Amino acid sequence: MIRCEDVLRELSNYIDVEVTEDLRRQIEEHLHACHNCAVLVSTTRKTLSLVCSSRILELPSGASQRLLDRLAMHWR
Amino acid sequence: MKSEPTGDVAQANDAELIRLVCLGNRELFAHLVRRYERSVYHIVQGILDNPADSEEVLQESFLKALQHIGDFRGESQFRTWLTRIAINEARMRLRKYRPKLYDSIDEEPDDTMDFRPRELRDWRPNPEERLREAELARLLEKAIRALPPLYREVFLLRDVEHISSEETAQALGISLPAAKARLLRARLMMREYLAPHLQQRWHHRLLDRVTQRRRYL
Repeated sequence: MIRCEDVLRELSNYIDVEVTEDLRRQIEEHLHACHNCAVLVSTTRKTLSLVCSSRILELPSGASQRLLDRLAMHWR
Repeated sequence: MKSEPTGDVAQANDAELIRLVCLGNRELFAHLVRRYERSVYHIVQGILDNPADSEEVLQESFLKALQHIGDFRGESQFRTWLTRIAINEARMRLRKYRPKLYDSIDEEPDDTMDFRPRELRDWRPNPEERLREAELARLLEKAIRALPPLYREVFLLRDVEHISSEETAQALGISLPAAKARLLRARLMMREYLAPHLQQRWHHRLLDRVTQRRRYL
């Protein structure tokens, strides 16, 4: 029987679908019975989807051109 | 002597572009720059948290990659090789100008299993609806900045830039299990940082319940 510590250890692999079919089934059985672990998994997933959906950072204005200008000095 | 590139070079894969660059068509390196400049900048800025420094490191990294393109053996992907150069450049800059911050890269232990998740209340069904896009972006930036450097690097590579586990481990020069352990810890820390902003509060739960009951009256 899988314990909360095991779910915690495999959390990332489970979210990334990098666990065996057998382990996935065991984790899902545990999640049905354990509210805390179910919340941990769903909120960690939500964290990653928020990061995914947000445009965190753009290149500063003109940075791309300045980079090409500097490199061009070396390929001329 | 230059060899004339054939076909649509902008569509060529990295290996083909590198072959042409090595044959003397060095200006074709611009295609590789366009492909990866954003990703490299994000990672470097995530480490340095200083736009001026990050831009210099961005330039140094691509310059170094161009100068050493002949050493690229294709054992890893070009992006992994380039990312490794950029991370090393960024760390060198930290070591030079902010040695205290740099020291903390080696001091952080991989102690994931001592980590006890807190904040186990569920979040609102659509937490992003509570925050406007700009607010959410700011909150996420703050959360990433709050991660210790060791965990920030792995999080940026895996979950912001979506680089595979294997490539991330290669780019950081660590083993795959070490990269995975760091990633797990980084994700848990991110979750705990965000939780107070996104949890379902008791008065919202109450309100939801009341609204639901009214609907059936």
